[in-house]
Amino acid sequence: MTSLGQFYPVASPVHGLDPRAKIVATAVLVAGLFLVDSTVGLLFVAVTLMILVALSRIPIRNFLRLLRPVLFIVALTVAFQVFFSREGAIVIEWGFLEVHTGGLWLALFLALRILLLVSAAGLLTATTAPVALADGIEDLLSPLKRVGFPAHEVAMMMTIALRFIPTLGEEAEKIKGAQAARGADFSEGGPLRRARSLVPVLVPLTVGAFRRADELAEAMESRGYRGGEGRTRYRELRFRRKDALALSVTVFILLVGVLL
Amino acid sequence: MNLELRDVHHVYAAGTPFAVEALRGVSLGVEPGEVLGIIGGTGSGKSTLVRHMNLLLVPSSGGVLVDSVDATTLKKSELRRRVGLVFQFPEAALFAPSVEEDVAFAPSRLGLDEEEVEERVRESLRVLGAEDLATRSPFALSGGEKRRVAIAGVLAMGPEVLILDEPTAGLDPATRERLLALIRHLRDAGISVVIVSHDLDEVAEVADRVCALHDGRVRAIGTPAEVFYGNPELAPATVRVASLLKASRPELGDPVRFDETLAALKALPGK
Repeated sequence: MTSLGQFYPVASPVHGLDPRAKIVATAVLVAGLFLVDSTVGLLFVAVTLMILVALSRIPIRNFLRLLRPVLFIVALTVAFQVFFSREGAIVIEWGFLEVHTGGLWLALFLALRILLLVSAAGLLTATTAPVALADGIEDLLSPLKRVGFPAHEVAMMMTIALRFIPTLGEEAEKIKGAQAARGADFSEGGPLRRARSLVPVLVPLTVGAFRRADELAEAMESRGYRGGEGRTRYRELRFRRKDALALSVTVFILLVGVLL
Repeated sequence: MNLELRDVHHVYAAGTPFAVEALRGVSLGVEPGEVLGIIGGTGSGKSTLVRHMNLLLVPSSGGVLVDSVDATTLKKSELRRRVGLVFQFPEAALFAPSVEEDVAFAPSRLGLDEEEVEERVRESLRVLGAEDLATRSPFALSGGEKRRVAIAGVLAMGPEVLILDEPTAGLDPATRERLLALIRHLRDAGISVVIVSHDLDEVAEVADRVCALHDGRVRAIGTPAEVFYGNPELAPATVRVASLLKASRPELGDPVRFDETLAALKALPGK
């Protein structure tokens, strides 16, 4: 069930942080990871990130499952570095293939970096409810309102998009079932035939999505929605001392990582 | 054909914390040429049950038998042709640029020649009184027209059993009446019909047998008179009126359909 970025609802110190603190910390971490240029530094960040995951009370198996979708990219990167890098001493020589120590180190380094980037982003979305995430983004973007940037609208669009992913998934399952009952087969033939067999699913799904969007807009307007101006929130965000602390700790970890 | 479900259990999301047991041992048969009504509250397992009849869902345990043969051994495409399933709100799956192309989707997958496909499209649209819609876009039709076209799309496969999951939900009375007439017409042509419905009056009108589901189990099954008079809380208005009167007038009998009930009431001697 859990896929990349799905919210895992448990109570934990990480879940309890202000979403703005978590968003900024993740942004800092993701950008900063590109400044860490030693494997030891990355390992240090990895260990601290593992501690954070433990604090978040997300079962480690669920968290590792987050990483599954990127394993292919990691494997590809590793293969490229191992086989095509020609730095350092030769470890294995087999026909035209040579594996050098430099390549092995670089492969380890890049794999770690990708995994850390995804883990950091995954930890954010797994510990922050989509609505809180959108509220946090809206707040962080609100200074841009002065130059005419529609911060509230962008955040609302994100919330709605996230909210409707499972609904559309359900709808797609239903339509697939209905077409299967009419003899459609989604698993037969080559990639082209399989792509074509999805037309009877995608057309009604798209039509339905537009209809749903219209209905949602009307329902929102009937309930008095008229954009962000003067709109209050049920849950007010509060930036507390622990949030400032969490943010400083992240920056500190990153600095240590860069220096190592 | 004879369709039989034997002690069917179904668990959604088995093995996860979200597991839900939707069916807890359902056994029932669909006889050739009968109309079987399935009633039950929301969440009682009606839609899950009918999805097992053409193996869109595979039972977690128990079996589905077609003419005493295990349905899992049949070719899936063959099974789905013989057991036509019309989903709830089937109009949500219309996709082709024109009505006739949409209705042709299922039969053209059966390896029939073009003429035969055309013939079937024409015939099923005719049965549903929708032949004048053939060249229209399915997206430009009214709700009732869309529903009829979607049902024609399944009927065009020439099923031996037709399953309708809440076919009249959200329809106007005229279209509803038309669909009930279709069900009687199909039964007369020897096709079994399974109709899932919340509308007890309509089940009373067309069903030869009724199955009441509750919480994933069969609560009652039998003729409409047996099921409705045995469970007055599940019964349509006709039966509730008749069973109240029966207390003092036992000669009323067990009428179920509107016409029967009316005739029985008129036949009462005295006042």
